[in-house]
Amino acid sequence: MLVSTLALGIILLGLMLWAHRQPKPPHQAARAAAWGQLQALLIRLPLALLAAGFIAALLPQEYIIQWLGANSGFSGILIASLLGSVLPGGPMVSFPLAVVLFDAGAGPPQMVALLTAWSVLAVHRILAFELSLIGGSFVIRRTLVSLPLPLMAGFIAQWIT
Amino acid sequence: MTYFFALLALVSGIALWMSSGSQAFLDSTYGSLRLLLQISPILVLAMLVGGYVQVLVPKAFVQKWLGAESGLKGQLIATLAGAITPGGPFAAFPMVLVLYQSGASFAICVNYLTAWSVLGINRILVWEVPFFDTEFIVLRIIASLPLALIAGYSAQWLFEKPGKRTA
Repeated sequence: MLVSTLALGIILLGLMLWAHRQPKPPHQAARAAAWGQLQALLIRLPLALLAAGFIAALLPQEYIIQWLGANSGFSGILIASLLGSVLPGGPMVSFPLAVVLFDAGAGPPQMVALLTAWSVLAVHRILAFELSLIGGSFVIRRTLVSLPLPLMAGFIAQWIT
Repeated sequence: MTYFFALLALVSGIALWMSSGSQAFLDSTYGSLRLLLQISPILVLAMLVGGYVQVLVPKAFVQKWLGAESGLKGQLIATLAGAITPGGPFAAFPMVLVLYQSGASFAICVNYLTAWSVLGINRILVWEVPFFDTEFIVLRIIASLPLALIAGYSAQWLFEKPGKRTA
C-alpha cells in the first residue's frame, strides 16, 4: 500500500509539472475531471465495500477454494472466466467482489481469468455502450474474437506463477 | 445505482446477522471500514492522476495516430493507444465509433478496444492499485500484454479479406 501510494504521488507530481509547463496550465480542468470521477464514488463505494464484506462472510469458503483456488487448475480458470463474463455492473461492484473472492482463497491465475473475462466480455457494458453505439454485427464479431482471451490470460498467469 | 448498493448492503448485512450473529456482522463492518480507510488516499491520488492524463492527452492526438497505420505497426499502435486512452467507456466507445466510421479496419478497432479494457492505465490506477497488491497487478498485466494483438490478428484472420478496408 505504501509503495503504491508513493508511486502514485511521484506520477502525480510529474504530471503536474508537465501541466505546469504548458502555456495555460490545465490544473483546474484536471481537478474537475478527478472530482467528477470521485463524486460518483463517495456514497456508493462505502456501500459496495460493506456489501462485498457481508457477502464474503456469507460465502462458504471451502467451495471457493475448491472451485477457484490455486490448485483448481484448468477447471478453475474456466469457471472463473464464466463467472467474470456474467458479473453485473461496473468496476465498483466487480472489484470489491474480486477482492472478496481473492481473500476467500481464489488463486491468482483464476483471478486473472475472472478479471479479463469481466473486462472483455462483460454483458452490461456490451449492452449499454457497444451495442447502442457501434451496432450488432460489430459486437457479435468482437465477442467471438474475444471469447478465448480470458482462458489465455489465465493460462499465461498459471504458467508464470 | 446508489439505491442498488444500499439495498445490497442492507440485505446481505441482515442475512449475515441472522445466520452468524451480531459479532460476525460487526467484524465484517469493521473490516470494510478499515479497507475503505486504506484505499481512500490512493483513490484520491489515482483520480487526480487520471484527471491530469485526461487533460494532457488530447483525444484528437490518439485518433490521428490510430487511423494512419495498418499491419503490425498499426496493431501495436492500437494496443498502445488503447492502454493510454483515459476515462471509462464514455471515452473509449465513441472513439471506436469515430475510428470505425472513418475507415480504420475492424481488426484495429478490436485491438484498441481489447487493449483499453485489459490494459487501460486509468482502470489499473483507479481500480486495481487500491484493491490488489503489486505482485498480482504485475501478473495480470503481463498475462494481458499479448491479448490485444491476439484479438486484433484473429479478427483480421476471421473477418477481413486481404486488401479490403485497409486504412
